Amino acid sequence: MIRENITILNENGLHALPASRFVKRAEKFKSNVTLTKNGVEVSGKSIMGILTLACEKGSKVILMTDGKDEKEATSALRKILEGQD
Amino acid sequence: MAKERILKGIAVSKGISRGTVFVYETKEIQVFQTSIPGIYLEREIERFLGALEKTKQELNSIKERINAEIGSDFAQFLDAQVLMLRDREIIATVKKRIKEEEKNAEYIYHDVLDEYAKKLCASKDQYLRERVADIWDVGNRVLRNLLGLTHSSVVDVPKDSVLVAHDISPSEAALINPDNVLGIAIEGGGSTSHTAITARALEIPAVVGIENLMAKIGNGEKVILDGNRGILIKSPTPGRIQFYKGETKREIEYQKMLSPYCELPAKTRDGRQLDISANIEFFVEYVHAKKYGAMGIGLFRTEFLYLTRRGNPSEEEQFRVYNELAKKMKPDPVIIRTYDLGGDKIFSDYHEANPFLGWRAVRVCLQDLNFFKIQLRAILRASVNRNIRIMYPMISTYEEIKKANAVFAQVKQDLTKEKVDFDDHIQVGIMVETPSAALISSHLASQVDFFSIGSNDLTQYVLAVDRGNERVSHLFDHFHPAVLRLIKQVIDAGHKAHIWVGICGELAAVPLAIPLLIGFGVDELSMSPVAIPKAKMVLRALTVPECEEIAKEALKFRGAPEVRKYLSRMISKKFPSIEGIK
Repeated sequence: MIRENITILNENGLHALPASRFVKRAEKFKSNVTLTKNGVEVSGKSIMGILTLACEKGSKVILMTDGKDEKEATSALRKILEGQD
Repeated sequence: MAKERILKGIAVSKGISRGTVFVYETKEIQVFQTSIPGIYLEREIERFLGALEKTKQELNSIKERINAEIGSDFAQFLDAQVLMLRDREIIATVKKRIKEEEKNAEYIYHDVLDEYAKKLCASKDQYLRERVADIWDVGNRVLRNLLGLTHSSVVDVPKDSVLVAHDISPSEAALINPDNVLGIAIEGGGSTSHTAITARALEIPAVVGIENLMAKIGNGEKVILDGNRGILIKSPTPGRIQFYKGETKREIEYQKMLSPYCELPAKTRDGRQLDISANIEFFVEYVHAKKYGAMGIGLFRTEFLYLTRRGNPSEEEQFRVYNELAKKMKPDPVIIRTYDLGGDKIFSDYHEANPFLGWRAVRVCLQDLNFFKIQLRAILRASVNRNIRIMYPMISTYEEIKKANAVFAQVKQDLTKEKVDFDDHIQVGIMVETPSAALISSHLASQVDFFSIGSNDLTQYVLAVDRGNERVSHLFDHFHPAVLRLIKQVIDAGHKAHIWVGICGELAAVPLAIPLLIGFGVDELSMSPVAIPKAKMVLRALTVPECEEIAKEALKFRGAPEVRKYLSRMISKKFPSIEGIK
């Protein structure tokens, strides 16, 4: 399991379009993916969950991945959160 | 007979239509709670999954339609809806709760969505609160499929209807059938709403923002929708109907008379070629630009990118739009104007007393370079198509253009380092719309590849008249000698520096002004697509030496009325074939 603290740097926070992109990417990995903000944990493969986290630019979240491809998943998903992809 | 009533709104798509009101209502779906016997629970889950599948197919066909008719960029909101539909957390929760509570799928699904919707409603973030509309847009589809209800869809609107609604969801707006819908009247929405974009793309007259519309109008009423003046007329009097019949007839005959000119070259009678291009606001309008015979996009306003969404568009989003437009117009040029809004659009806590003299357009960009660079990068990346040009609005000093060019060079360097391809010879121009820029145009010309005169703003600034103010709007006149002299000066300064000069304000499409502008030596006229055939018709009647003579003489008058009178007289004398064309 990989656990990383990430600050959302994506210009528009994790809104509909970036959130869609995050979910679509997360779905490609076998690993379990979760995002936690202020103690609330949601599945990284659920757009509704992610939207309810209301992540703005600058929000601090914990990205957790667990599974065979957790390394690849972490690096790909981190990029989206940090607005580099 | 019912009394005539005129309801005012905002005109967002031009044209006039007369028809019968079809009220499109998104009725709240009634969901009942029933118990499901244990042996049928699996079947209930199957029924739920079946409704999801059916909804998925519906969304896919909507998406295909949007892609085909409006462009893939406008189907993006559907991506989020598709993900909401197949959200595994929701599906898992619904399945689990059906089994545990032994209740029907409609009830459980509605309840689960409601929980999420409530959470988003409670958010202090307005954008997220607005996503609730997406949740119910897709959720209601599923519920209707579960309940076996037929959709009250805009697809079913009968022939000759004027569609009346409180609002139309984006997925529904995409389904509007232009064969049946003659006009659209909306209570909510603004000039950049999805409905406005769709209406304009389909060339259906539309008026939005009509207060209390739903309370004032009912199904089956006879109305006239005037998308030119932004009004909806309920129970029009016979006199009114007659007036609009006349106007519509004239408009149709006029368009018919002009339509052959779409295809004809933009040349004067003595063979001087001119560029006539289109001013567009939305990507989808490139279709009209082509239809009416534009030779390129002379002004692509990028404001809608910033207004139709919360937050600023990313480099990627902007790139997609610019790139798509460049591809569609190839090899014809596309001039992209950079950010031209006030600072209040990006900084919500910023307000000012006098926005037109304030912090706007390039003034904002040059103070927030990171913001500016995002747009410059997107434009440069799209320039691989080799037909993109860039234009800065609201330049008023020499230093501004120097600085903008330096930032642009920096962005080019960054891209080169990143090995990103772009057009190194991309033309850079400015809007000449402030009196200061016009007066020092000979200095500015050395720094750019072209000038485009924004005649509306130039006139407003030169004459110190806000045309939106009824008390002074009569003073607003493009033909004021002060405006004409400045235009002439800018064209001369440009030509002296061997750069081309265009006009992208309303003046470019005024038949009375075209001989004058040709006489001044203008190289390009850019206007709204529908005005192009008329401009070509006027142009094709002219001869350059005569226009030059007229222009020289026109500059000698003391006031706009004298100029107008002279121009009308000269047109009837020298170019009688276009006499009376307005």
